[in-house]
Amino acid sequence: MNFLNAAMLAGVAALSIPLIIHLFHKSRFKIVKWGAMHLLAAVIRTNQKRIKIEQWILLAIRCAIPAILALMMAKPVWQGAKQMLGDQPTSTAVLLDNSYSMEAERAGTKNFTIARDETERLIGGLKPNSEAYVFLMGEGRGLLDQSTRDLSSVTQALGKVGAGYGMARVPAALDFVAGTLDKMTGNARQVVLLTDFQRVSFPASDEKLLGQALERLKKLKFPPNVTLWDVGVESKENVAVESLDFSKLMVGVGQKVQIRANIRNYGDTARPDLRVTLKVDGFEKPGTAGSQVSLAARSSGQVLFTHVFDKPGSHVVEIETEADPVKADNLFLASIPVRDKLTVLLVDGAPGATPDDLKGETGFAQIALSPFFSGKVEQSDLIKASVVPAEGANAKNIAESNVVVLANVAKLNDEQIKALDLFVKQGGGLLVFTGDRTDAAWWNGPFGKLAPLQIGGLGGDPNAKPGTAAAKVAAQRFGHPSLELFNDPRNGTLADAEVKAWHKFKAPERTGGPDDPTVLARLDSGDPFLVEKTYGEGRVIACSTTLDSDWNSLPARPSYLPLVQRLCVYLASNVYPPRNLQVGEQLVSFLPSATAGKKAILTLPDTSTVEVPIVKKGERGVVEYPQTQRPGLYKLQVAGGDLVHYVVNADRAESDLNKMTDAEIKALAKTHGLQVVHSEAEFKALDKVQRYGREIWKPFLLILLVLLFGELILQQMFARGRRKV
Amino acid sequence: MAHVSDFLTPTDLQRISSLQVLARVVVEGFTTGLHRSPHKGYSVEFKQHRQYVAGDEIRHIDWRVFGRSDRYYIREYEEETNLRSTIILDRSGSMNYSGTKSGGVTKYDYATRLAACLSYMMVHQADGVGLVTFDDKIRRYIPPRSKVSHLRLIIDELEKGKPGGETDLGDVFHDLVPKLHRRGLLIIISDCFGEVANFLKAMAHFRHARHEIVVFQIWDRDELEFPFRGWTQFDCLEQDGVKHLLDPAMLRQAYLENLAKFRDELVKGCRKHHIDLVPFCTDEPYSKALAAYMTRRLGRA
Repeated sequence: MNFLNAAMLAGVAALSIPLIIHLFHKSRFKIVKWGAMHLLAAVIRTNQKRIKIEQWILLAIRCAIPAILALMMAKPVWQGAKQMLGDQPTSTAVLLDNSYSMEAERAGTKNFTIARDETERLIGGLKPNSEAYVFLMGEGRGLLDQSTRDLSSVTQALGKVGAGYGMARVPAALDFVAGTLDKMTGNARQVVLLTDFQRVSFPASDEKLLGQALERLKKLKFPPNVTLWDVGVESKENVAVESLDFSKLMVGVGQKVQIRANIRNYGDTARPDLRVTLKVDGFEKPGTAGSQVSLAARSSGQVLFTHVFDKPGSHVVEIETEADPVKADNLFLASIPVRDKLTVLLVDGAPGATPDDLKGETGFAQIALSPFFSGKVEQSDLIKASVVPAEGANAKNIAESNVVVLANVAKLNDEQIKALDLFVKQGGGLLVFTGDRTDAAWWNGPFGKLAPLQIGGLGGDPNAKPGTAAAKVAAQRFGHPSLELFNDPRNGTLADAEVKAWHKFKAPERTGGPDDPTVLARLDSGDPFLVEKTYGEGRVIACSTTLDSDWNSLPARPSYLPLVQRLCVYLASNVYPPRNLQVGEQLVSFLPSATAGKKAILTLPDTSTVEVPIVKKGERGVVEYPQTQRPGLYKLQVAGGDLVHYVVNADRAESDLNKMTDAEIKALAKTHGLQVVHSEAEFKALDKVQRYGREIWKPFLLILLVLLFGELILQQMFARGRRKV
Repeated sequence: MAHVSDFLTPTDLQRISSLQVLARVVVEGFTTGLHRSPHKGYSVEFKQHRQYVAGDEIRHIDWRVFGRSDRYYIREYEEETNLRSTIILDRSGSMNYSGTKSGGVTKYDYATRLAACLSYMMVHQADGVGLVTFDDKIRRYIPPRSKVSHLRLIIDELEKGKPGGETDLGDVFHDLVPKLHRRGLLIIISDCFGEVANFLKAMAHFRHARHEIVVFQIWDRDELEFPFRGWTQFDCLEQDGVKHLLDPAMLRQAYLENLAKFRDELVKGCRKHHIDLVPFCTDEPYSKALAAYMTRRLGRA
């Protein structure tokens, strides 16, 4: 216990006053010459002992009254088992929510501005020699690299911080801060979390994680007091561009691309005629004044744009709606690598007499992949296909390709397999068709690591006459990007092609992991038709039948061309590390191995630049940059290379500005034993209690009143109570 | 009808130094307006019969004589005085108490004035009156007479006596019984402090000797209410060295209960022996005593 007005404790000495009065009265007694002594003596004899006890009780109460009064006036504070903190310096960790929802404003003031100002005041108000650390939850990083006693440097750095980042992950932030707090030196510690209490930041699914993070804090050597500071002024009105869909998996020069923007109105007010604009590489599309969409309250809509890219390389598409306070989600960016050519290496296991001989295993496929080239038409194909026999495949031509297609290849030597392994691991696409030459033992053996599924036997009859085929591709709804085209009958169907023979793939062994093989399509016999497997950073798709018309009639069907093209484009699209990232996702770029050891220059969304080393990994130079907390456009430039755009978009869940109710916040705090404040005054009051303890003069007042009345009642009771006579 | 003494408190009357003057003021005040009885014969000793004449009270007719002779006769008594009364006055230490509300009048002062008034009234009604004073033993015995000069003797004794010493009512009263040869009215003026059983035993002894008894129990208001506050040392008036230092407020209730018990026992005991117990408080007028006496005298007629 501590006392805010310790001088008043001297008043405890007043407990001697009743004692002195008692002794004084006892010594200054009256003398009465008494006649009826026989009446009095009997009473004294029987009551003397009890009266003495009662007198002691009354005397004790009378002594306690001034003592309690003095204690009360000394403003006692209860600190529990805590150390006497008083004015000792503290170690403070502030978790500042700078997610983009904090940009919501009322009366022109952003929630984040309030939170930042409060943080500045909080840090500025810390006791001298205190240690502070500010963690920016939206960015998932510390304001400074480590905690510091130089509080002015913290407040200075705070001035440069803004909101507009990704979602604030409270459990992760608390976990991070627990590690930092552990390294701080003060034993009076506090964690202050300033947030807008957006409902999505505290989902029920995070409840357990939050509990675990707080538990970790409690287990620290010096557990901190955790305070939730509600700085959120709820403002539901917000329109967000949620996502963009492209009609093509890969965009080629001169190809028409449809861009569909999904827009959601989170507010309770309808937004008629909301203007949506498309910008490509920072410029509004010439000749379009943008589109308009009408959105009812709490509903979503779509806007469709079309665009033709006239240059290969990295392009940026921006879809922007009319401004509202939460700017981060008014804009959705997409980085589009526009390809001039996509290189596909066709490895023919049963080549024809000439390279363009349709009797060869890859004849139909080559035409399907480069129809304009094959048809001698003055238009450019996206895909440039080249054919090599099985023995012609080598590390060089494999590495230079975007997709490698193995067609009825009996077997490859170890070097070829090694080259393919590396190729796929680094993100290359491998498309494998079986056939009569396929060696099941080689497939299941040396090729087994790459093969999505093992071959179990042969299905159907390769010699069956047309019209008597044993199977067809089962008509089904496809979920795979390369096949979903066939969900629309106008694009043709796979189900009208006959499959005379096929290799039966063994049922996949499920491990539950992300690398489990997936059956993309089946034959109506139930055997897999197309199976896919992720391998390293690349993918392998295997088809149970032939690429040519030996075992099936697919090449003669209209669906053959889109099937082969889309499978290749799908697999090729994976060759490049993703350029459209989520906040916090690592930015990766593959560069030629010659660039390894140099440095790439990365321009961040705020136009500042950082140098990122190019590291040699396998046959490539790789750039990795994990600090992508800030949504926006990142530009990567390597000396002598092309500019590559990367886009980081924040999770749009943050756009829902719906705030937790006060009751929910209280319940959350109660569940986890936290404190909630809404203003600086409340925080100061709480801090005072936590620092100095809780003022407990009220219980003392109660005790005092009880003693006062108790003395009165006891005195009456002792005097009037029934006596033994 | 109101009389002068009703308007005079014992404190006022204290200013009258002469007991005789005081007695006259009180008694004459009390008796003013009373019809003097034309009849003799309220004594306890029978003397003769006489013929009934008109005006005699019918209740004094001797019906046994009428039964025998068919004539009306009235019983008359032998004594020249109507009543032989002996005032037994307690002058023990406890009677020397003067309370906070009594204006300096001790219980003994009150008792002596009461005795003087009674004596005065008795003598002036031609009743014989005697006086016994005692503490732990009999200090003075004046036998009953009805002469006015005898009154002087009693009043002198009352003025002369000082209270002190212990009381032992039982022993004293037992000693007194043989001295009172003829039965009569005994008026005991005392606070009756002591063992109730002893006191009642002595009363029984008196009653055995066929005495009529009236006890005027003298209280001080303090003894009835115990109003003391603050630390007080109670020094015993009867025994030197007996003292108790205490906070009286703590004991008041117990004391009052003990007092009630004591008075209850006394009242019951007296009722049992057909003794009139008349409690007095020293702030009450003396006329109450005289009224009690008169009631008693008439009750005997």
